[in-house]
Formats: sequence, C-alpha cells, structure tokens
Amino acid sequence: MNDKPHLDVEALAELQDVMEEEFEVLIQTYLADSRSRIDSLKEALLAGDADQFAKAAHSFKGSCINIGAPRLGALCFEAEQLGKQSSLAPASGVLERIDIEFSEVSRRLQNFDSEP
Amino acid sequence: MKVLIAEDSNSDRLILVRLISGLGHSVIEASDGTEAVNLFREAQPDLVLLDALMPRMDGMEAARQIKAIAGERLVPLIFLTSLTGARDLARCLDAGGDDFLVKPYNRVVLEAKINAFNRMRAMHQALSDQRDHIRRQHLQILEEQRTARRVFDNIAHTGCLDAPNIRHHASPLSVFNGDVLFAAQRPGGGTLVFLGDFTGHGLPAAIGAMPVAEIFYGMAAKGFGATDILTEVNRKLRRIMPVGMFCCGLMIEADFKYGSVRAWNGGLPDAWLVRSSGDRVPISSRHLPLGVLEPERFSVSMMVIDVSPGDWLVLMTDGFPEARNGRGECLGEDGVESVLAKLMPWHEPFEALLAEMREHTGLPDLADDLTLCCLQIIEPGASESLPGKAPESVLSGPADWHCVYELRDRTLADFNPLPLLLHICLEVPGLRSWSGEIYTMLSELYNNALEHGVLALPSAWKTSPGGFSRYYQERSRRLEQVHGHHIRFSLSHQPGEGGGTLTIVCEDSGDGFDYAEYTAARSDVPMASATGYAGRGLAILRRMARKLRVHSPGNRVEVIYDWRLPGTATSGGAALPTNEDSE
Amino acid sequence: MPIETHRSDDGSTLTICVDGRFDFSTHQAFRDAYEHSDGSVSCYVVDLSDTTYLDSSALGMLLLLRDHAGGDGARISIENCNSDVRRILSISNFEQLFSIG
Repeated sequence: MNDKPHLDVEALAELQDVMEEEFEVLIQTYLADSRSRIDSLKEALLAGDADQFAKAAHSFKGSCINIGAPRLGALCFEAEQLGKQSSLAPASGVLERIDIEFSEVSRRLQNFDSEP
Repeated sequence: MKVLIAEDSNSDRLILVRLISGLGHSVIEASDGTEAVNLFREAQPDLVLLDALMPRMDGMEAARQIKAIAGERLVPLIFLTSLTGARDLARCLDAGGDDFLVKPYNRVVLEAKINAFNRMRAMHQALSDQRDHIRRQHLQILEEQRTARRVFDNIAHTGCLDAPNIRHHASPLSVFNGDVLFAAQRPGGGTLVFLGDFTGHGLPAAIGAMPVAEIFYGMAAKGFGATDILTEVNRKLRRIMPVGMFCCGLMIEADFKYGSVRAWNGGLPDAWLVRSSGDRVPISSRHLPLGVLEPERFSVSMMVIDVSPGDWLVLMTDGFPEARNGRGECLGEDGVESVLAKLMPWHEPFEALLAEMREHTGLPDLADDLTLCCLQIIEPGASESLPGKAPESVLSGPADWHCVYELRDRTLADFNPLPLLLHICLEVPGLRSWSGEIYTMLSELYNNALEHGVLALPSAWKTSPGGFSRYYQERSRRLEQVHGHHIRFSLSHQPGEGGGTLTIVCEDSGDGFDYAEYTAARSDVPMASATGYAGRGLAILRRMARKLRVHSPGNRVEVIYDWRLPGTATSGGAALPTNEDSE
Repeated sequence: MPIETHRSDDGSTLTICVDGRFDFSTHQAFRDAYEHSDGSVSCYVVDLSDTTYLDSSALGMLLLLRDHAGGDGARISIENCNSDVRRILSISNFEQLFSIG
C-alpha cells in the first residue's frame, strides 16, 4: 500500500494556472487517456504479455505524476515493476487497486475545478 | 525558437505545449518516434523534447536518428522521462540526449533549461558562422595564392632549374613560405643560382619575391654577373620593403670554363662546396641580408673558390637544418655536415640529404617550408646544350659599325648615357657575354671625363678626411653650372675571327691632365693626383683593354678591347675576367 | 609578461627584456615597449638573458627598433644572448648593425 494522497492539490493548482481555460480539456484528456491505458493493461494481462504490461504501466505512471495523482502513479509503478519481473500473478490484484483508485481520482478531478 | 515535442501521452503533451508556447516559442507536436523523426526532417526545429518510451519508435532510437539528421547543426535534445534509475537516465544521454526533464514537469526548471540551451545554441551558431567565414576566407586565400603563383611563374619561370646538373626541392607554393630559388645560364656560359628566404610568409614575402625574380632573370639574360644583380636586388628591396622585412640570400656564380665559383651569403645557413675528392668548403654568411643596408653601404665582396667538374654546391634555407623530428629535435647544421662528411664519391649530396631528412622526420616527403638545391660543376662547354640558356643570336645583328654620341651642357647633369651606350655595344652578336667589362670601361671613361674633365674635381678630395661629402657637394654644385661643355663618345666595332674589336674613344671639353705619368707607369699607378684622373679607374681600364691611349692634352682617352666568343680558344687579348674581388 | 622594460635612473637608457620566445607573437608588445617611451631615451638595451628562441621576425623587429632609434645613428646593444640566439644573430651578421654582447 502507499500513503500518497489521491490528488496533489498544489500541483493541480499550478496546472490550472498554466492551462487557464484549457484546464478542463486537460482533465478530460487525462481521464480519457487513462481509461484506455487501463484497458491496455487488462488486455496485456489477459494475453500474459509482461513486457507490454510494463510499458503501459510506465506510460500511465508518467501522466499520473504530471497531472498530480501521486497515489495512482505509485500503483502504476508497482504494476510496472511486476511487468518487468514477469510476475503477472500478483498483477491482477494491483490492476484491481488501480481501477478503484482511478475511480476515486476521476471523481475528485471532476469536482476539482469547483473546489476553491 | 521552434520546439518539437514528441510525447505519446496526450495529457502530458497538452501540458508541455502550453508551457512552451507560454514562453514564446512555436511548437510542433508528434505522438510517436517515427512521426518525431519525420517532423524533425521537415520542419528543422531548434530544440527537441522527446519522451523516452513511445510506441512505434522509442525515444532512444528517435534521438539517434535526429542527431544523425542534424549533422553539424547543434539541436539540443531533452528527454522527457519518469525514469528514475540512474542507468536509465544515462542511457538517454548515451543515445544523444543533451539533458532530461523529469515528470512532473516544473515550469521554472523547464524555462531555465530551455533558456540555457538557447544560449548554447546561439553560441554554437556564432562559432559555426565564424568557422564557415574563416573556411571561406581560407579557400579564397588559397585560390588567390594559386592565381598569384601563376603570375609569379610568368615572371620567375624555372630558369634552368631543370638542368641535369641541378637538383632541387622547393614547395609548389614556396614563394608564399618566403623561399625563392632561381637559376639561369649566363650568356657567356656558366650558371647563376640565387636562393632567397624572405622574412615573414604569405603575401608580403611573395610581393618582395616578384621584383627579385624579375631582376635576377632580366639581368642574368643581359649578361650581368652576381655582383651587379645582388647590388640591384639589395637596392630594390631596400626601397620597396618596410623596415624589418628583408631577404636572406645566397648567390652562386659558377664559371665552368675557369673552374671557379664566386659565392655571396647574406644570412642563410652555411652552403657547402663538396669536392669529388671528399673535401668540403663551407660558404658561410658574411653579409647582412638583402634589403637591410643602404645601397652605399652594401657590400658585394664575394668568396672565390676553385672548383673542378664533379664537385657539388649544396644550398639550403634554414628550414632544412631546423626541420624537427617527432621529439622536436632539429636536424641541425651539424646533422647536415655529418651527412656530407659521410658521402661516398659516387653519392649525390642531394639524395643523401633527402635520405637523412626522411630518416630524421620519419616522413616520406620533405616539408613545405624548406628549400634545398644542389648544383654540380660540369665540364666547360657542356652548359651550352643545357636548357634555359638565354637566347643569343650569333648570326644576326650589327658587327661592323661606328657611331658618335655627344652630350652637352644640361644633359650632362640630367642624363646617364651608360645604359644606352651599353645597349648599342651589346647589339653586336656575342658581345653580350662581356657586358660586365664593357659597362665597367664605359662607366670609368664617362665618370672620369665628367668629374675630372668637365667639372675639374680633384680626386684627392675623395681620400681626404671629410673630403668625400665635400667632393659630392661640389660635384652637384658644379653640375648645375655646366656651360659650354660636352663629352663625346666615339664607338666602333669590327668583327674578327670568333669575336671582334671594340674601340671606345671618350673625349671631353675639359683641360685634360698630366697623362704622361700614366702612360709611362704600367704597373705602379698612383691612387690619385692633384687634379687628374682617378688612378684606380685607369688601372682597371688598362687591365681590360688590349690598348689604352691618352691623347694630348689629356682629355681624350682611347680604349681598344678585343673579345672572343666563349668556348673559342683564347689566344691572348682581353676576356679574362680579372676585375674580381677576392677573398 | 614576455616583454618587460625599465629605464635607467637618469631616464636616458631603456632596457627591453624578452622572456621566452622572441618571435612574431611578441611583435606588438615589443613595439609598444619602445614606441611608448618619451623622447628622452638616447640608448637602448635589448636584454636577451631569458630569451630561449629568436626567429627572423625578431630580427625584423630589431631592425624596426633601430629605425625608430635613428637608423645608422642608433645606440642599441643586444646583451646576454645564449649561444643559439647569438648564432642566429651572427648568421645574419647583425653585429654590423648592433653592438652584441
């Protein structure tokens, strides 16, 4: 488990500052990308492709870190390591946690704009 | 700046585009490696931000291809990465990355990095521009040198450097390293060789070399000898070259008929006479280089050495003894001498020195900044068939003639008739070979007629303390006031077998002098007299001429001069060049 | 500094010392050494004790100094030459123009 926060509020505030009116587009882009990343992870796991699993986890990790979702990023890192070690057995557990954490991040991000 | 962003994550790319366009740069976007390489080729961006892990072509491979396309252009390449292992980061740099930017992106860090690379790029651009500028100028200089070399070759040609008894090494562009090498056959037989080394390189040296070439070949063809040519070269260089520029030089005048070599060395390393017996005679520098001294202080006294066919003269510029090997050691003048000391009779010094130099430097070819020339003494007459001999028409031209040339009053002050008179004489086929002597006779007669006859200057002044300048002041003063005076030359020439007889009568309107003591005394000639003829001049005339007659009252001097073509047997008469300085 | 100068107490003698290689690279410094002195200098000393090497452009510079100092009337002595330097000066017969010690 990791004790990182769901959202890095400070980082998000800065992003909001940088993106201005495009902040909403960024959030929607991130959410859409993330869904397809999770699909890729599931496909790779199903196919038993550890390498593909590691790569997808790596890319997902990068965008999570950038958007300010550190706990999800940390889970992606775990998944990447498992992929690199070709131990896909415990991977489905991690993927499940990623799914849950993404729902949480997704809910919080949808509401972030309205937060003060 | 135009920035290429290659990143497969849409959200990450959105952030970067926003950050970088916010800094005022234009952005091109790619979402995988292949697209990045293609866009780089098309759009030629100034900076590339590249995700390390991308589909289709990963960042590492894209980086390699982009750097290959960029070639000499400096295009900073920054890897975007969430990689954290040191080894992974190092791999990015190995692939050609210049830096990396770690996620999450930080606006401040990104801006600082982009600015730093922009400065580096600008500096690189300035350096490249300067380098290209220098490269273009260098090419232009080389081209100009080739053109100038062609001009120089038209003046200097190779003379008789290709003769079988001359071996030489000179760089094709040697005139621009300051070295010059000229050789000419003398009209009367014999060879002149001049080796020069100008201070400085490049254009100034080449400009100085041009008149030296022209003087050397021009005067050599007209029959002038080493002393006249050296005097003229020194005078010319002294006049045209700035103080501090000069030409170290070595002149060889080889007379095969009389088996003698006259040599003058001003500032070059020892030249050597290597006899076929193995004996060696150094020809050391005893003079200041050419172009340093005022004409009146310049000394052309030459070293005279007896030589025999088969002997070699070895001349070199200081680039030869100063050539360095890999350890920075010079061959040295000792090295040169020891090669010559070890020569076997059948060895040519040129080949032996070349071999030694190859061994010394370990290089197959001689360097560009040195000149080496060897001249072999040959049998008299053999040079007649050598190439490069000045054309001499023996069959045509006036041989039987008489002319009178009279100069009056102002002309005496303003005009030097000697070149004209010499020219008339030298039209006689074959007489050119004796131009030096004829010139000497004409000038002695003319100067004595003018200074002692017309101007009545006492020659004793010249030898008294302080008298020299008084003499020349008085000479100028009296020349201004010449009135009712003349000097008349009567020249006639009659052809004879294999030569001819030149008669020169010089008459002036002066009062004459007490000539009896000169006609009486044959050998014991006084050096000066109160108002009369300079004794030394008369002695020179007597040595050259078959007959010297001074007519009453001493203002009419007649010289009869017999001469023979070089190569024909000399049976008495004139033609032995004995008015040489000797050491 | 490859070139150093000092004046005698009465100001009439300028000594120019050349350290290391006396060649084209010292051209400007050598000229500056005597051109910037005022008119009261009547005698020049070129001290070559620390000169390791001398080439033909250095000979040219000596001629320029001689010209500056009045040509034939110049009073210039070249001092403390090592044997290599002295040899180069003597090949060019510079003792005819300078007093070489």
